[in-house]
Amino acid sequence: MIDNENCLRVHLDHVVHPGLRLTVEFGLKPEIGVLFGASGAGKSTILRLLTGLNRPDRGSIRLFSTDLFDSARSIDVRLRDRRIGLIFQDDLLFPHLNVAKNITFGIAGWTRTKMMERLGEVVELCGVNHLLDRDPSTLSGGERQRVGLARALAPRPRLLLCDEPVGALDLAARFSLLDRIKRVQRAESIPLLYVTHSTDEAMTLGDRLLLLAEGRIVADGLPLDVLSSRESTGSIKLRNLFEAVIESNDPDDLETTLRLVRGPRLIIPRRSGRVGDPVRLSIDADEIVLARGPVGELSARNLVEGTVERVVTHGHQAEVLVRTDRLVWGIGVVKSAVDSLGLIEGTEVRMIIKSRSCRVIDEEST
Amino acid sequence: MIGPFWLSLKIASLATILIILVGFPLALGLARFRFPGKGLLSGLLILPLVLPPTVLGFVLLKLLGRQGWLGHWLEAACGLTIVFHWSGAVVAAAVAAFPLFLLPARGALEGVNPAYEDAARLLGRTELSVLRSITIPLAWRGLVAGSVLAFARALGDFGTTLMVAGNIPGLTQTASLAIFDAVNADDPARAGQLALVVALTSVLAVAITQWSLPRSGRRP
Repeated sequence: MIDNENCLRVHLDHVVHPGLRLTVEFGLKPEIGVLFGASGAGKSTILRLLTGLNRPDRGSIRLFSTDLFDSARSIDVRLRDRRIGLIFQDDLLFPHLNVAKNITFGIAGWTRTKMMERLGEVVELCGVNHLLDRDPSTLSGGERQRVGLARALAPRPRLLLCDEPVGALDLAARFSLLDRIKRVQRAESIPLLYVTHSTDEAMTLGDRLLLLAEGRIVADGLPLDVLSSRESTGSIKLRNLFEAVIESNDPDDLETTLRLVRGPRLIIPRRSGRVGDPVRLSIDADEIVLARGPVGELSARNLVEGTVERVVTHGHQAEVLVRTDRLVWGIGVVKSAVDSLGLIEGTEVRMIIKSRSCRVIDEEST
Repeated sequence: MIGPFWLSLKIASLATILIILVGFPLALGLARFRFPGKGLLSGLLILPLVLPPTVLGFVLLKLLGRQGWLGHWLEAACGLTIVFHWSGAVVAAAVAAFPLFLLPARGALEGVNPAYEDAARLLGRTELSVLRSITIPLAWRGLVAGSVLAFARALGDFGTTLMVAGNIPGLTQTASLAIFDAVNADDPARAGQLALVVALTSVLAVAITQWSLPRSGRRP
């Protein structure tokens, strides 16, 4: 296995539409690279160009020692010979085939012994052993995506691409699938490119983050490095996005109480709306303070208990992921704070959040 | 009685096969590709549905007859004479019934999400394999419905067949033509028997389709 070299090397120059030209160059080792950017930045187009579903105007794609595409040398390997697995946003399980037949679709030409052996491996890895006889229409969203993952994995692809596969899932299924994808990548040791516009997913999953803006990769590095970098300022800000409903909203009161979906209660400055109204909430990662042990009287209105799930440090910065029930929060702190608080996986912490740090956002601004 | 019925069955079966062989690629092309003149071609292909059978028969006669350019060529090149022969009845029934296959088949193929086909290609399948394992199974319901409709229409064709193949007992006299002759000859028993057999065959074809579709043509 080539561990220290880029097994995927991409150079693309492609006009998506008159307003968007992609000029993209990057490499990927056997790791999880998150291709991150706003909607319409061209992320999904890059995946389509890699798979061969769309043909780049110019450029080259090299996977391990095979040239998949090279406009200068007129190389364009057929889609079916590229050995690239793709997990779609809307799973695209074949509705007329059961789960087992969906998974073995790409290895139907193998000998029966080999096929059954591989089927056994991927169903175990993706946790779908108990679903083999089921019809896709009877599966939950999370199950469907796990079957899609197993199907893409069965023919031993040399590159796995994920196009926002958790978008339609609820939070519990979302994190379960992200864990699964990570485990699969580690087990198969292949490069995996994951497309998303969610900081939450990027930070949970990514070994590396490629920030796409205005058709170019403007930053490339560890997730927090990139998300807090100068390049991302303005276009991307590391923040937590949550869905919530208004729990109480007394007109005489100066505050509104929200209940996060599958999460804790939060107090925010008063805003209009009736009890039960849904709202979307944004909290910048840098505006959450972490504490360990007892906390005295506070001016901040919210104190939320959670458990550290992961700490990513690099340079003087660190990013701490904290889980509260079924939500994961991203908190940006300095490295010395991680050391002095002794933050490691499993540490019980309290998050101190000022009500003014909780901003209700409109759909258009997300 | 059995002669004209068997002839009808043979003609309708061959016409249906002909329709599927020509109609499936056309339906697929119309469903999947954009090309200049597509609207005109679509219109021409469903013309048999709106033209009076005798007019359609007349056009075919002019085209396939010994003086027609296609008929002349067929006779010169292959030694085939289509008009006033049972093969003429096959062509006449196929042309008359063609739109009844094309319309549901095209609709069903258009209803197959092309992303499923892309997913199959990414899993290493060839174009032919994608067609066989994804496109056709997902469009199955419309394809079968179209074939059955076309078969039933071909089985009962009268006007176009009469114009192209004539009404020669033992050679081109189909059940529909024999029913007409029996009524003219004041033989209601024979007309009734033939009508019953033809009607039962059509009903049976529809029933078999209805019975087999839910299991073989599941859709999302």
